[in-house]
Amino acid sequence: MNLLELKEVSKIYGTLKALNNIDLSVPKGEWLAIMGPSGSGKTTMMNIVGCMDKPSNGSVILDGVDISKENPRSLTAIRRDKIGLIFQQFHLINYLTALENVMVAQYYHSLPDEKEAMQALERVGLAGRAKHLPSQLSGGEQQRVCIARALINYPMLILADEPTGNLDEANENIVLDIFRQLHREGSTIVVVTHDPEVAEEAERIVVLEHGKIARIEDNHRGEQEEG
Amino acid sequence: MFFRMMNGALLRQKGKMLMIAFTIALGASLATAMLNVMLDVGDKINQELKTYGANINVVPKEASLLDDLYGVDERSGVSNKYLQESELGRIKTIFWAFNIVDFAPFLDTKVTLNGAVENVELAGTWFSHHLDLPTGESLDTGMINMKNWWDVSGDWITDAEEDSAMVGSLLAGRHQIAPGDVISVAGKNGQKTLTVKGVFNTGSDEDELIYVPLKVAQDLADRAGLVSRVEVSALTTPDNELSRRAAQNPKSLSIKEWETWYCTAYVSAISYQIQEVITDSVAKPIRQVAESEGAILEKTQLLMVLITILSLIGAALGISNLVTASVMERSREIGLLKAVGANDFPISMLVLTEILLMGLLGGVIGYFAGLGFAQIIGHSVFGSAIDIKPMVIPLVAVLVFLVTLAGSIPSIRFLLSLRPAEVLHGR
Repeated sequence: MNLLELKEVSKIYGTLKALNNIDLSVPKGEWLAIMGPSGSGKTTMMNIVGCMDKPSNGSVILDGVDISKENPRSLTAIRRDKIGLIFQQFHLINYLTALENVMVAQYYHSLPDEKEAMQALERVGLAGRAKHLPSQLSGGEQQRVCIARALINYPMLILADEPTGNLDEANENIVLDIFRQLHREGSTIVVVTHDPEVAEEAERIVVLEHGKIARIEDNHRGEQEEG
Repeated sequence: MFFRMMNGALLRQKGKMLMIAFTIALGASLATAMLNVMLDVGDKINQELKTYGANINVVPKEASLLDDLYGVDERSGVSNKYLQESELGRIKTIFWAFNIVDFAPFLDTKVTLNGAVENVELAGTWFSHHLDLPTGESLDTGMINMKNWWDVSGDWITDAEEDSAMVGSLLAGRHQIAPGDVISVAGKNGQKTLTVKGVFNTGSDEDELIYVPLKVAQDLADRAGLVSRVEVSALTTPDNELSRRAAQNPKSLSIKEWETWYCTAYVSAISYQIQEVITDSVAKPIRQVAESEGAILEKTQLLMVLITILSLIGAALGISNLVTASVMERSREIGLLKAVGANDFPISMLVLTEILLMGLLGGVIGYFAGLGFAQIIGHSVFGSAIDIKPMVIPLVAVLVFLVTLAGSIPSIRFLLSLRPAEVLHGR
């Protein structure tokens, strides 16, 4: 069963077609990587799937709901309830501790629960750094806080934009371990990345070029489908 | 969580938040000072204006009629009706006795000066007269208090100096009289030699007069114990529709209106009460002075309202710039909050609460600073303290709230227009 379906999705900025007639389905529990050179439309696709932007044409079905037709308020609710966002630049609030940064997502979702937020930090191996401010954490630790914040509301879809883009190899491995664990637990993960090693971890790789799907690679079967 | 976020934001942006509080404090202090002064300024300006002369003229009924019917000046001496000097103390026994600042009687008569054919006007008056009142109290009143703005060359005389006089500058100029000169005046009842102690310049027709102690004029005119008129300087409330109707005819008022009028320090009410205690008298407000006082008061209050409004607009603009800058600086944080599921309302509330807290801090500081400013204004302009009016507190609170809210509108609009994709991904 598909959790996410993009049907003939285009995004046009003036004369520029950032996305051009994209068709894509993501089944529940799949780990999908989106690759492509700069300007290929990766971030635009992530913004549309993450309910932070709307397509110019086409429809985006997330968990049976066409999010391309929703108003901004509904999109905020969908983002809050169904999507966990992980950013390349972490985007932590620098005057809140690691624990409080996780609780922020709880606060706007339902009720902040310190115990649960602590468990989320334990899951990413940061229980001992809960009271530290972002400035007191390494890049890898900040990214793990960002992952804990994305996971705290049990999202259906985890959307990660270059999650290892700012990390060294050791931290990249830690983050990928977390993703592997989440995948084993049945989470649906969409990762936008430049890094072939990160993409290799996914079940499928969608390669975008000039706003179009150039090809889709199936890592498990080693098959390649032209876009 | 809300308070943790707010606390964090306030501490992180200490400098900017303190600037917002400072801006609000400036606006609030000016509003507090102006409102306190404005509410107290009526009495202060009245007091100030009273130092420039009388605002009520008390004359015998007949003299008043001659003036009303034929335009004959009460000082002309045509009327031979007089007021009793012995009754003058009663002026300080009326309902508004404490509003009577000073008064001085005058006996106007014509005399010849130094044997010349031409008559000149001579007025006897109190310069600084000690008066024991029927109430058991006493006061010193007279020309020295009432005409203290006169430009006097030489010295004022006292009531006891019955062989001295003060001469108006125009008359002195024509007759080449200087302080220290001796003049001779002759009236109906004889002649008197007087030493000129002072020559005064008032800029009015009083510069043609000779002033002597009341007793001297009474002897010269053979009018012992009598006065032609009394000038009264009283603290009054500016006229309104009720006082104007009462001035025309107090009997036209209803009982309730009459009580309100009688128990308010309108110039017409005080005049009416003076008439009640001085036999056969008419107390007439010197309309020009009363109306000028009202006009000055209204203009002063309008000026203060304008200063208050301008200062608050200035504060609102300052707040607007500072808060918008603060929100722009935090656009990533706000974008993130939107990205993790925050609606516009809770984010707006977060920013508004921060600003209103600064408004509260600035408002409290500004209020107390404003009380200080009000006292500085009071002492430097009016030479006395300004009464602190408790009703200014809610007024300033409401003004600070509205100004802070108004100053926050542009930043809230900016905040609402922020799209997470734009601030987090640059799209």
